Amino acid sequence: MSDIELSVTAKDRGYTKLLPNQWLSRAMLPIALLVILFGFAVVDRGVLSLANLLNIAQQTSYLALFAMAQTVVILTRGFDLALGPTVSMVSVGTALAMAGATATGHDTTAVLLAGLGAGFGLGIACGFFNGVVIAILGVSPFVATLGSYNIAIGVATTLSAGRPVQGVPKLFSQIFYGGSVFGMPATIAITVVIGVVLQLTLARTVFGRSLYIIGTNPRAAAVAGLPVKRILVATYVLCSALAALGAIMMTARTGSGEPNLGGSLSLQAIAGAVVGGTSLAGGRGGVGTAVLGALFVTILSNGMNLTRIDGYVQMVVLGAIVIIGVLLDRLRLERR
Amino acid sequence: MSTALTASQPRTAIALGRLIAGRISFLPTLLVALVAGMAAIDQQFYGIINILNILRNASFLAIVACGQALVIIAGGFDLSVGAVVALASVVSAKTMAAVSATFPGNNAIIIASGVAAGLGGGLAVGLVNGFCVAKLKVSGFVVTLGTMSATAGVGLMITSGIPVYGMPEAFVKGFGRAQVFGLPTAAYVALAVVLVMMFAQRRTLFGRYVYAIGGNVDAAVVSGVSTQRHIVGTYVVSSLLAALTGILLTAQVGSGQASFGGDRMMLQSIAAAVIGGVSLRGGVGRVEIVTISALFLTILGNALNLLHIDSRLQPVFLGVIMVAAVALDELSQRSKSRV
Repeated sequence: MSDIELSVTAKDRGYTKLLPNQWLSRAMLPIALLVILFGFAVVDRGVLSLANLLNIAQQTSYLALFAMAQTVVILTRGFDLALGPTVSMVSVGTALAMAGATATGHDTTAVLLAGLGAGFGLGIACGFFNGVVIAILGVSPFVATLGSYNIAIGVATTLSAGRPVQGVPKLFSQIFYGGSVFGMPATIAITVVIGVVLQLTLARTVFGRSLYIIGTNPRAAAVAGLPVKRILVATYVLCSALAALGAIMMTARTGSGEPNLGGSLSLQAIAGAVVGGTSLAGGRGGVGTAVLGALFVTILSNGMNLTRIDGYVQMVVLGAIVIIGVLLDRLRLERR
Repeated sequence: MSTALTASQPRTAIALGRLIAGRISFLPTLLVALVAGMAAIDQQFYGIINILNILRNASFLAIVACGQALVIIAGGFDLSVGAVVALASVVSAKTMAAVSATFPGNNAIIIASGVAAGLGGGLAVGLVNGFCVAKLKVSGFVVTLGTMSATAGVGLMITSGIPVYGMPEAFVKGFGRAQVFGLPTAAYVALAVVLVMMFAQRRTLFGRYVYAIGGNVDAAVVSGVSTQRHIVGTYVVSSLLAALTGILLTAQVGSGQASFGGDRMMLQSIAAAVIGGVSLRGGVGRVEIVTISALFLTILGNALNLLHIDSRLQPVFLGVIMVAAVALDELSQRSKSRV
């Protein structure tokens, strides 16, 4: 958010003129969200019930986490096509580690630690691979993450033999899915905490600010003395670590390690980030845009499910929404 | 026209020459090594059935990859090709089934209308892509991400996910599964497509302008190239070629299926283009090398199958080889530029 403030102070002459316009463009997506929500509520009262709203919030918390992960790398003009397969791989790895630790007779703490260690380990390894290939070897993010996309799919299906991995302890699901913090479901609580921490990191730390600079002008960032390569590697590691956290939460929900868990998540997460207003050209976006986009996509598909719109029609609508969302964003930029 | 172009970007021309020289020796060497190795290890590999199989699959991939390459050379991306393959397959099969009900036995009309409908579907998607990218200035990645979802949805909607039958025998046995001089028809179609594209890239204004736009949009605009029309053109060609592949697949399998193409075909077409030396930064790439790389990828997949490597593990090889090929290229270019 503070990057917008910066741009405003930079052109202080147009300050008063810009403000209402910016306010309007900021509010456009939330207003559209409410309109859609109430539109669906007219067709089906159930949309606005407390149970469904909680359901929406819980569903959003997964996608928001993945959209945040994607946003971090998109800020630097990259993206992570391998996010979905990473999720699958982490899910399988976590479940296998926990099943193995249980079988060898370790106590529950050790089992949980083994699961988390394996999950985050695999995630971070994947992110490190992406980061090194992109930053050090200079391969484009598209090709690099397309490569690790294939690798992660192969690892996930080979480790699991293509079948769901059973043996996830009950406690694991209770903590990461069933648990609650001050009455708030664990999934929502985790996403909120991560969101706040990430926003502070992006807005207030040198690392966070340098992501925006690299995205806005990589050459200037290098000239200014930023260790661009190291930062990029760290960015991809952060992205994959966030994806791993989401994968662990989703594994807790299903109660088994799923080799197909990631499915089309890569593109969904990019769509979420982009619809929320993250710019693929880099340098623009944040936690807010990721959460808004995730909320938008979730509410839309939740509403279409409740109003019994055909699943295939939903695909068409989502596709159109992605394009319209980006188009609006561009018009907004032009007006500015 | 070509003098103006070479004069305005001499450096690109040199880099282009170098890259092609590097590629030409690199990729075919790999290909020959792969073929020789496989032929030594496994007799099945050079069996006629396997060779026909490879040629057929390589043809499908090469046609899609040529279109993809053109879009990437102009500085774009086409994620929707896989979905267009499915849409064209479904639409052409549905049309043929419907027309053969009204004009039973009139094969020429049935097949012509089916092919026209399939290509029409592709054309529509290509126009939407091109319009959004060129006129509305939305990034190609996002536009085609959107149309990919929408197109796949339409394909599934039309069929409810069930294969479509009812096309004339002449289309399937007489065309799709037929062989001319011992080679599958798809191979001839692919060869024709590649030759036309090679000609277009080298000798037509459209082809030269696509390089100019991908190399430097601003320079192209200043030189008086109507960039918008040509960008629309690249997306239309890409979608039409994807639709053509959908029709060929339909003819070979004998039914229209919304599961044809898909994400796999899309990712493979991009992989073929990139391994074939098409730069994602735009302005660089040749379809003939992309075709060799499509052949390479197909043979690689075939070899992994013949070697009984677990099909689950195969993507790992594909991923590693893709990253390695591009990284090697990047590193070799870097060392050259240092000299």
